[in-house]
Amino acid sequence: MQSSENGVESRNEVAEGEQHILNFLDSVDSYLILMDSLSSALRQGWLELASARHSMGASRVNCALFDLKSHHASTTVQVNNDLPHFKLCKWASSDDPEKYSEEGKFEEDELFQNKSDGPRHRHQELQEKRTEEGGASPVGTDNQIQKLFLQAQKERFKTLSMFGTLVSPKLRATQLSFETALEMLVEISNTRASLLHAYDQVQKDRTNPK
Amino acid sequence: MYGFEALTFNIHGGYLEAIVRGYRSGLLTAADYNNLCQCETLDDIKMHLSATEYGPYLQNEPSPLHTTTIVEKCTLKLVDEYKHMLAQATEPLSTFLEYITYGHMIDNVVLIVTGTLHERDVQELLEKCHPLGMFDSIATLAVAQNMRELYRLVLVDTPLAPYFSECITSEDLDDMNIEIMRNTLYKAYLEDFYRFCQKLGGATAEIMSDLLAFEADRRAVNITINSIGTELTRDDRRKLYSNFGLLYPYGHEELAVCEDIDQVRAAMEKYPPYQSIFSKLSYGESQMLDKAFYEEEVKRLCLAFEQQFHYGVFFAYMRLREQEIRNLMWISECVAQNQKSRVHDSVVFIF
Repeated sequence: MQSSENGVESRNEVAEGEQHILNFLDSVDSYLILMDSLSSALRQGWLELASARHSMGASRVNCALFDLKSHHASTTVQVNNDLPHFKLCKWASSDDPEKYSEEGKFEEDELFQNKSDGPRHRHQELQEKRTEEGGASPVGTDNQIQKLFLQAQKERFKTLSMFGTLVSPKLRATQLSFETALEMLVEISNTRASLLHAYDQVQKDRTNPK
Repeated sequence: MYGFEALTFNIHGGYLEAIVRGYRSGLLTAADYNNLCQCETLDDIKMHLSATEYGPYLQNEPSPLHTTTIVEKCTLKLVDEYKHMLAQATEPLSTFLEYITYGHMIDNVVLIVTGTLHERDVQELLEKCHPLGMFDSIATLAVAQNMRELYRLVLVDTPLAPYFSECITSEDLDDMNIEIMRNTLYKAYLEDFYRFCQKLGGATAEIMSDLLAFEADRRAVNITINSIGTELTRDDRRKLYSNFGLLYPYGHEELAVCEDIDQVRAAMEKYPPYQSIFSKLSYGESQMLDKAFYEEEVKRLCLAFEQQFHYGVFFAYMRLREQEIRNLMWISECVAQNQKSRVHDSVVFIF
């Protein structure tokens, strides 16, 4: 009887160990996909910036126009002790103390069309899968989502106004590309934290075999 | 229609027309662009350009090159050619040549004012100014707090002074006011240039009217597209359109109320010259609009050289060189960013 119980226990432990390894491999896969997506987003952003400069002229798009006055950060990163460690709060208005939540950001992203396939598409699938697994559903009514979207647009225009208030759509596309890259960076940081956590689990299983 | 320019033009303008036609033959050809598009590095671009008229300007630049360096040196060549022509010109050609640079002067004024508003160093801003738009008191622009001071302290003694009458206020300079100032100045400049060409008459008036009308119409479209979704009201938008051109006045009325690119397309497709431009774009897309407009502009500028005894060739040459510099900038960026597959997105062949 006891031996069968021990057998069940050891099978459970092996299954747990395998699960840890699978989690680790999944984290590595997500990490590599995100790094690939980040590289694509940055390449696209830099080329769009060159295109905006070509369209608007070098005197309108150059580093000499960056605003050196102290101003409120429109996007911040919150650091938590629990997973996910990093949470991006985008386009917080300097006039409005309410900030965007990560769920609100997810809704806002749905309102934008995806620009590229490949890694970005796989990244989208990954995000949807995570949402399904976590059981989290987007919060807010349609009105709230629309309000969040308009607020984000307003903050985007405000940030871009250092190059002038009537800027080319190419410069706005550049802003979106780099904004996407920033989101990916935060996600990479969280994925890296999960990856390291999974790696620790695997190492523990290896060093303390039962 | 024409004023028998063939009888008298060469007395004062013959030498410079020959000079500018010689300059025009030095523009890069399709073969040059094909070679440049196949370059792997910016040093390769420098090597290919060394066999062109840009060679002396780039030969002493050390590696590693930067795209802005290539653009700066190519611009220096244009400036040297312009200064040579201006030094040799008599009236009214000298005034005509000066008019060509007022657009750059406006851009420089706005750059200095915007940079100062953002607490940038004046020297840094002066280095970014276009050399064709420089004037003596430009650095003093950093002192002004509002448009009235801008005018009173600096611009009253510059050629831009007459253009300020519509935008002198005591409001402090902010991003929106600066943008409105830029576009109001440019509108006034274009209208003034147009009137000057009309006064010259003859072939110059005929050819320059067409080129400036196209410029005014293109500006109207760009202002419309760039202001979609911004705080600029319809009335303010309408005020920024020039009071001449093919789109004036009915096209402007339609553009003023456009809320998206498809409405702009619907308004523009009523005009046959612009129907062909918008037919190259798919619905909802505006990325290739710039290239389509540049291609049309280059076609019209090249046609200016088909006729003699007018000043339009000088304007056309300056614009074609600026387009060439834009092409070189884009090719350099694509090569530097290893995105050679995108190089033909924005290159406009001149010949």
